[in-house]
Amino acid sequence: MIRAEDVTKIFGPAPASVLPLLESGKGKSEIQAETGHVLGVHKVSFALEPGEVFVIMGLSGSGKSTLIRCVNRLFEPTAGRIFFQHPDEGEVDITALSPERLRQLRKYHMSMVFQHFALFPHRTVLANVAYGLEVQGRPPAERQRHAGEMLEMVGLGDWGRAYPAELSGGMQQRVGLARALATDARVLLMDEPFSALDPLIKVNMQQELKKIQAQLGRTILFITHDLDEAMHIGDHIAIMEEGEVVQLGTPEEILVNPRTEYVARFVEHADPTGVITAGTIALPFDPQAFPRQADAEGVHFVASRDLPELQYGLDDHGRLRRARRGDRELEIQPLETVLASEAPQTRREDLLMQCPRETVLRRVLRGRTRSALPMLVTEEDGRVVGLIDEPQLIRGILEKRGPAAGSEPHPAREEVSS
Amino acid sequence: MSEILELLRQLIVDPFGLLEALPVRQWITDAVNWIVGNFRDFFRTYVSPPVRGVMGFTQTTLAGIPPGLFLIGIFLIGWRAASWRVGLFSLIAFALVGFIGVWDALVVTLSLVATAVLFCIIIGLPLGILCSRSDRFANAMRPILDIMQTTPPFVYLVPAVMLFSIGNVPGLIATIIFAMPPMIRLTNLGIRQVRQEYIEAAVAFGSTPRQILWKVQFPLAMPTIMAGLNQTIMLALSMVVIAAIIGAGGLGLEVYAGLERLNIGQAFVGGIGIVLLAMVLDRITQGLGEKGPGRNRNNAP
Repeated sequence: MIRAEDVTKIFGPAPASVLPLLESGKGKSEIQAETGHVLGVHKVSFALEPGEVFVIMGLSGSGKSTLIRCVNRLFEPTAGRIFFQHPDEGEVDITALSPERLRQLRKYHMSMVFQHFALFPHRTVLANVAYGLEVQGRPPAERQRHAGEMLEMVGLGDWGRAYPAELSGGMQQRVGLARALATDARVLLMDEPFSALDPLIKVNMQQELKKIQAQLGRTILFITHDLDEAMHIGDHIAIMEEGEVVQLGTPEEILVNPRTEYVARFVEHADPTGVITAGTIALPFDPQAFPRQADAEGVHFVASRDLPELQYGLDDHGRLRRARRGDRELEIQPLETVLASEAPQTRREDLLMQCPRETVLRRVLRGRTRSALPMLVTEEDGRVVGLIDEPQLIRGILEKRGPAAGSEPHPAREEVSS
Repeated sequence: MSEILELLRQLIVDPFGLLEALPVRQWITDAVNWIVGNFRDFFRTYVSPPVRGVMGFTQTTLAGIPPGLFLIGIFLIGWRAASWRVGLFSLIAFALVGFIGVWDALVVTLSLVATAVLFCIIIGLPLGILCSRSDRFANAMRPILDIMQTTPPFVYLVPAVMLFSIGNVPGLIATIIFAMPPMIRLTNLGIRQVRQEYIEAAVAFGSTPRQILWKVQFPLAMPTIMAGLNQTIMLALSMVVIAAIIGAGGLGLEVYAGLERLNIGQAFVGGIGIVLLAMVLDRITQGLGEKGPGRNRNNAP
């Protein structure tokens, strides 16, 4: 949908003159000291798939707000190109558009939500939402109706006649969101939209956005400095430092495998329970760790070396058929079925649960309250791939990594946590 | 040697005596004579009629309103523009002017002010907008505005009479020149003060520069522009006495005539009328500037 190639933005009187210095490998501070130019963004590339939420995360001064402004050319990129998948014209180079074509792009294809809302104080809430439609030149009756629908969608249907100053911060940003959604642009640029809001309202808005996104399926480029927010709403995350992207991946990839010290620092304080999945932390079910114990009626029993009396009966495809502890036969249930049922008074000793590998840690933890036995992790076809017991859970939460990657702790992490 | 010392002495004691006086007086006299000689017809054919026409129309209209109706009207205007207090104040002030016997002069002065201010808006607003859009234009305008505001009006009264002859028109022209600068300055300032984030938002939604001006900058600059209008009105009022010297009528004429005949009472009555009119117009235009949805939020943090 959007593809950025080596986007560079330099602020100062003669930005292009600094490019050769940059090529020769000079850093941000050197360039600033030598030429007085500020390097905002340096050779950033990324791609947004249609319908995804792509988060750019970084601390203030990392260039993320500059980067998002390069995408709709509120700032002119100094170098590099940004492509947009136009519904009628195929791929167009945004950086080469004429002023008129650029206005068309902003009018119909790309809208924006701002950190400090930037609602027009002299317009009513409804007239704010209708602003983009007004610029598009739609007839008044139609824009009233459409803006009204958008206000309904963000839960402010009754507030159309109020002025922005009469609304709380969270409500104002709902209006900002409605204004951006109203133009029917496929691409939404969101510049730290929730950063100015109270924590509780922020979480509310994140959920709201996810809900609306599930309904409308826009392509969203989202800026934040909050890792939990990034992990919560992002399909992909790019982490920026000093104007460069230092890591790009899914939330779990970044959490489990921080590539630099900077990323590790971020990840240190992130809440892993909603991001890390069962498949990542599970102890793999390989024959060495789980030797075969017995065969019976088409199933073979395997058990951990440490706990030989707890035996898992697998069929030829590796699916779990039976389980027993000593002589006692165990009940087998999917995790979600157990969680959906009434909670018992005590943790059961005779219930073995299994869950798909995409299940997040939070669900697995909740499952632990129902059964004292390990949890089995399955592939889509039902094949058991691993097992989660206390050590795996603890490791997953504290170290944010699975047994494979955990054998050699990241040097940066040690330094940070000490 | 002594000649050099003498030269030094003169340089310190009387440097201006070294040269003949620059003949600036003569230059200006010649220039004004030249302009009057060559352009008097131009000014009298193209500049006078619109000014005189508007003045005549306003005066006839205002004088045509029965005073009682006028009082009700001024109450309603004050009430709608600001508050019922201002409406009541306006009514009492105008009634007082009527009771002290200068109602007709008040109507003439009001027409003079209205005409001058109308021209100030028609000319000043576009110039102010141009200033806000171009730094170069703003820099070029600044010395001109300084000259317009600081040159004592008496200086250009005589050339104005030479060009337009005696009467309301030269007085109006002088008033327009004197009262216009705040309109231009504050329009420029108001538009430039609109916060960047609103402009950025308008740009991000694909607005053209013209749409940004009319949908965002101009409405948000309105309180400042209204402050400019307020100042323009006050300056126009301050000119009515001076304009009376060259034949403009109204309350200014009451004052001027009273002073000439040493009729202190007449002069004061005219003065009171001017003060009351000034207060009414000030309250009403201030009210206009403060009203309006969410406008004062523009400069809030």
